[in-house]
Amino acid sequence: MAMSSTAMVARRALTAASQGGHEGGARTWKILSFVLALPGVGVCMANAYLKMQAHSHDTPEFVPYPHLQIRTKPWPWGDGNHSLFHNPHTNALPTGYEGPHH
Amino acid sequence: MAHQAHAYHMVDPSPWPLTGAVGALLLTSGLAIWFHFHSITLMTLGLMLLFLTMYQWWRDIIREGTFQGHHTPPVQKGLRYGMILFITSEVFFFLGFFWAFYHSSLAPTPELGGCWPPTGVTTLDPFEVPLLNTAVLLASGVTVTWAHHSLMENNRKQAIQSLTLTILLGLYFTTLQATEYYEAPFTIADGVYGSTFFVATGFHGLHVIIGSSFLAICLLRQIQYHFTSEHHFGFEAAAWYWHFVDVVWLFLYVSIYWWGS
Repeated sequence: MAMSSTAMVARRALTAASQGGHEGGARTWKILSFVLALPGVGVCMANAYLKMQAHSHDTPEFVPYPHLQIRTKPWPWGDGNHSLFHNPHTNALPTGYEGPHH
Repeated sequence: MAHQAHAYHMVDPSPWPLTGAVGALLLTSGLAIWFHFHSITLMTLGLMLLFLTMYQWWRDIIREGTFQGHHTPPVQKGLRYGMILFITSEVFFFLGFFWAFYHSSLAPTPELGGCWPPTGVTTLDPFEVPLLNTAVLLASGVTVTWAHHSLMENNRKQAIQSLTLTILLGLYFTTLQATEYYEAPFTIADGVYGSTFFVATGFHGLHVIIGSSFLAICLLRQIQYHFTSEHHFGFEAAAWYWHFVDVVWLFLYVSIYWWGS
């Protein structure tokens, strides 16, 4: 199976590192943490931030579809009409968005 | 003084299984009372009893293993089997919710508009926070492996560092997911889309919290010198559980967030 040389080096290093009781295993995973894993998180953080900025902030117009905003039984908190993570800006009630909307 | 002529652990009588069972009964019936009669007393009592049970039962296991030496190799082998069987049962638990998701999304009913996502549902962009969440959990899998190798190589300082990093990543995931829950344009009451989304990701989030707590206990134990380079099964169990949580997320991400969007 054809593999890039980087992949081959990584494969050998990971095989060596996974074998317990062998010097350097921890060092390999430490390097992987700081060179690959955490920078990967950083890149995804930047990406998510930039994408969120590029969003339009308009919420879609409310349409009272019968298959959404279901209220077969009230929730056991508050007025029973708001979900646990209810967000008045993005979540409409069965009667539409609450209060002065955007 | 009598000594046992075998390597197994004959556990002393304990009240915790009973308190746990009573706690579970109070919690479940308390939940029903809350739903119908709006009182949270019974449920709170059940929760407190359950937490006390967990604290004391697991404290006893640590005493028996770490301080009294009861966890010989055959005993540890049994504990390994136990953890593997438990995680297997959790896999089946999640399989049910994936079944529900695929059942509803592969053949969307006319009531939903005959399409998936259903008409009127604005899904989350899988390449924003969900992708970040994926990176966070994958990174935590790398750091927990670093922690394991540090433990095996007797590197106390690095074990503490890497374990702390793992827990921080877990907490970061939980925070991100909580804000996603609040910002989402759909709720659990938005038809079968909302139900499958929040029940599957909700139980996953609960498991992340449980896994992070398990790792945090391991951190406290590592700081207090409980683990040796040869014997640290509590940590291994926590690491296995954590990898399981990561894998469940990967399936959730690919199925619900990506394919289902």
